[in-house]
Amino acid sequence: MTEDYEDYDTLIIGAGIAGIEAALTLGDAGGKVLLVDKSPTVGGIMAQLSKVFPTLDCSACIATPKMASAVYHPNITLSAYSEIEEVVKHEEANFTAKIVQKPKYVEWDDCTGCSLCEMECPVIVSDEFQYHMRGRKAVYIAFDIAVPKKSVIDIDNCIFCGQCEKVCPTSAINFLQKPVLKNVRIKSILLATGFELFDAALKPEFGFGKSKNIITAMQMDRLLAPTRPYNAVLRPSDGKEPGKIAYLYWVGSRDKTVGNELCSQICCMYSIKQSQLILGALPLADVFSFYIDIRAQGKGFEEFYQQARDMGAFFIKGRIMFVDEDENGDVIVKYEDIDDKGKIKEEAFDLVVLAVGLWPSITGISKVFKNVELETDSLGWIKCPLCNPVETNVPGIFAAGCVTGPKDIPDTIVEANAAVSQCLAYIETHKSSM
Amino acid sequence: MTNEFKKRIGVYICHCGGNISDVVDVAAVSEAAGNHPNVVLGKDFMFMCSDAGQQMIVDDVKELDLDGLVVASCSPKLHEITFMNVAERAGLNPYEFYHVNIREDASWPHSDDPKGATEKAIRMVNAGIEYVKQTSPLAKIKVSTTKKVLIIGAGISGVRAAVDLARMGIEVVLVESADILGGYTSNIYKTYPEGKTGKEIRDLMVDQLVEYEDKLEMYTSSEVTGVSGYIGNFVVQITNNSTGNVAEKSVGIIIVASGFKSYVPKDGEYGYNTHSNIITLPDFMAHLNKSEYKENLTYNGQKINKIGFIYCVGSRQRNLEAGESGNEYCSRYCCNATVFLTAELQKSFPNLYTYHFYQDIRAYGKNEAYYLQARENGAVFLKYDPYTPLEVNSNNNINVTVADILTEGEKITVPVDLLVLVTGMEARENKRMEELVKITPGLDGFYKESHPKLKPVETGRMGVLLAGTAQSPRDISETLASASASAAKAASLVLRGELMLEPAVAIVNPDLCSNHQKCIPECPTNAIETQNNKSVVNEALCIGCAICTAVCPTEAIQIKTLTTSQIREMIKAMAKS
Repeated sequence: MTEDYEDYDTLIIGAGIAGIEAALTLGDAGGKVLLVDKSPTVGGIMAQLSKVFPTLDCSACIATPKMASAVYHPNITLSAYSEIEEVVKHEEANFTAKIVQKPKYVEWDDCTGCSLCEMECPVIVSDEFQYHMRGRKAVYIAFDIAVPKKSVIDIDNCIFCGQCEKVCPTSAINFLQKPVLKNVRIKSILLATGFELFDAALKPEFGFGKSKNIITAMQMDRLLAPTRPYNAVLRPSDGKEPGKIAYLYWVGSRDKTVGNELCSQICCMYSIKQSQLILGALPLADVFSFYIDIRAQGKGFEEFYQQARDMGAFFIKGRIMFVDEDENGDVIVKYEDIDDKGKIKEEAFDLVVLAVGLWPSITGISKVFKNVELETDSLGWIKCPLCNPVETNVPGIFAAGCVTGPKDIPDTIVEANAAVSQCLAYIETHKSSM
Repeated sequence: MTNEFKKRIGVYICHCGGNISDVVDVAAVSEAAGNHPNVVLGKDFMFMCSDAGQQMIVDDVKELDLDGLVVASCSPKLHEITFMNVAERAGLNPYEFYHVNIREDASWPHSDDPKGATEKAIRMVNAGIEYVKQTSPLAKIKVSTTKKVLIIGAGISGVRAAVDLARMGIEVVLVESADILGGYTSNIYKTYPEGKTGKEIRDLMVDQLVEYEDKLEMYTSSEVTGVSGYIGNFVVQITNNSTGNVAEKSVGIIIVASGFKSYVPKDGEYGYNTHSNIITLPDFMAHLNKSEYKENLTYNGQKINKIGFIYCVGSRQRNLEAGESGNEYCSRYCCNATVFLTAELQKSFPNLYTYHFYQDIRAYGKNEAYYLQARENGAVFLKYDPYTPLEVNSNNNINVTVADILTEGEKITVPVDLLVLVTGMEARENKRMEELVKITPGLDGFYKESHPKLKPVETGRMGVLLAGTAQSPRDISETLASASASAAKAASLVLRGELMLEPAVAIVNPDLCSNHQKCIPECPTNAIETQNNKSVVNEALCIGCAICTAVCPTEAIQIKTLTTSQIREMIKAMAKS
């Protein structure tokens, strides 16, 4: 049986900011790109952030035009809401892959993104894109600035009431949609699958789950974003405007007890960023950061840190002993104040934010490579040599962004472009065998 | 004039997710715009740049047959091109559009005065409408590009960019002021994570060049002494410093990879130059590179049992005397380099004591492992407050006194045999090159990229890119990534053989030109000449600076994208109450 293959120069797995940036530069250089993401929208984590350090640009302002350019680029084909089923490397220096587009139960060619189905749907489930701080419907658009802005039906939670079908002005709802398999032939692969956030519940002494007023920094970023769940920075238990907020750094990093002794590289900086944003949004609030070392190493980062201090953010060097909730819903933090002769202190906060670390998310994607094994370090980050920080152990497969280790957005964007030169060079130097 | 009345303009006001709408009454602005006789509709929206916002504009243009667009949002630096592309997708000429910046120019600076900010935004939008009333379709200027790249500096970043470009099939001209390639890297004692020496890394990189000799022209002991032309078509002169020979080359893109210099402490700064055993980190590495040590480490013939390291020398300088200027930035690589070096020394000399005087240990990411290793093997870390500086006494022996924050601020005096000042990176001064390629340093002295996220390797001058530590302090692997990134950007600009440039150039109306020739000597790029008693502009050379329009007595020479008449009407709209 012969199979039909679509041909591309590069398969990019993951359409977060690394994948999008690489796709745009590759496309501009004339390469034909297939961009695949498991989510119904491109943009990844960056599209969900409020503002980004050290420039305090609004994240959506930077991400959305890139997201839209990638989707409209003549050399880029997007396969959203898709999973890679398998990748096989061939002798002649190229690869084949099977990609399955999951059924969306909405015909995207017809969907106009009008949201009428969403308004009509009676099912409410927890919204993963708002980090479970509010609900979404069973038929939904991922978030306000999704690209492409199209609906999908979460079939596991759908009750098949047919309301969406009745209301859709273009009859785009199709409950009979099947998965679509696509066979592709490619010359190089770029892994840009990003990271996973540390599950704060694995560190019970920090009280995540014990009190509604202990949230993760990702949730705080959502509270600060323009497309935020409550349209204000409020604490979840009672909707009170928080007057005193604590940041606990290194949750899930630099911590042997959770199995990650390494530093997540961005938590100091995003906490400092959020501190500045909170001081702007809630001028009466006090923000305290409990840290070990402030790691502000990138261009303009140290200046940004000093700016936060000058704005009145408090920084306390010391570890946390425990975190608990009192009868008012306030959160009690017991800590060691090293700057004050190491005294043990206890203080109540309206809201506690956990600066959760970054963990590798490679386990799933590794399995799809059928006849090659990608080398990772002991934690599971893809291993790359010093002399080529975007090159994996498999010729023709490259990696960029947080798939190789935690890093910030500027470094991720640089790496994405670096990977483009490696993909183009690999294709050019293996032309004869492809 | 008849054309003006035909214009059917759509005006779009962006909330910028609150950045604008928290201050400016966006509904009032769109309503005011809607009242303008040429405006068919005024709308406001959460994110005009989002897919949904863009699609809304496309649909409106098609449905209502609009022939002009005004978008009032953020800075045109961010999104002018985004909306020009939207216009194009809607079937409109992209130059029938004006981008009004009501974020940086209205909501942000006037956040204390919402009413005033709204009034200002309305006037600015009116000016934008006046601009669009006079637009006509323009075409981009197509220029062919030379598939060759000039790289200034052949340290590892320049070499990496050269190798990447050559592998992509692009020719490279590599210029280096020293007589050998590889730059600073060979001075490094050992590099993390693999423990290779700096020289091994340097050789590994430089050896790759040999494979691509046919694509490479190399000029060592040479400097760039002339640059003319524009993106895609630069002409550069390269002068050999010893022979004086000058070579002229045509290149499409210029990559600046001119590196950094190590900070040199002032006399007496932490005892520098007061004792022969107080040295900088590069000095110490040079010393380690020079000799093989078997059992004991020695310096100046003296056995070294205790080493002190003072961090952040020449970086994070906060505690300065009045009028003194210092480096406020963090040099990024030094903490990692020092904790890794310590871990390596501990392997060779198990009895060595090391004392680390630090502010914050920034062994970020995976580098944390070396910090842990150094501590587990006995390195002692003492935290100092930058406002209570360390005292270094070097009368006979070297003693460092610190009020150690980690032990309740107790004053501790540590005697050491060798004191290493962990010096940071500084920008290299290179005024002549900066002027030639027209790039500018930022506040920290390193060259400024256009935008750290949108255009991370581009500079303010089109066609000039940055690589490595010329842009900011970085370690080896980050330097190499940035070099590859520049190579990719260069490839995306030259591989297709042609580029489309903006038509923001001067044009002469021959009916009005009376051959005063005032424009010709004023043009900084020599883009204007006289033909048949009329001035004529070479569009590829013109940079659209508009000096010619200012000196022309008859308003015959105009910038296509911003005419004197447009400016006049825009000012009127701004001033109208």
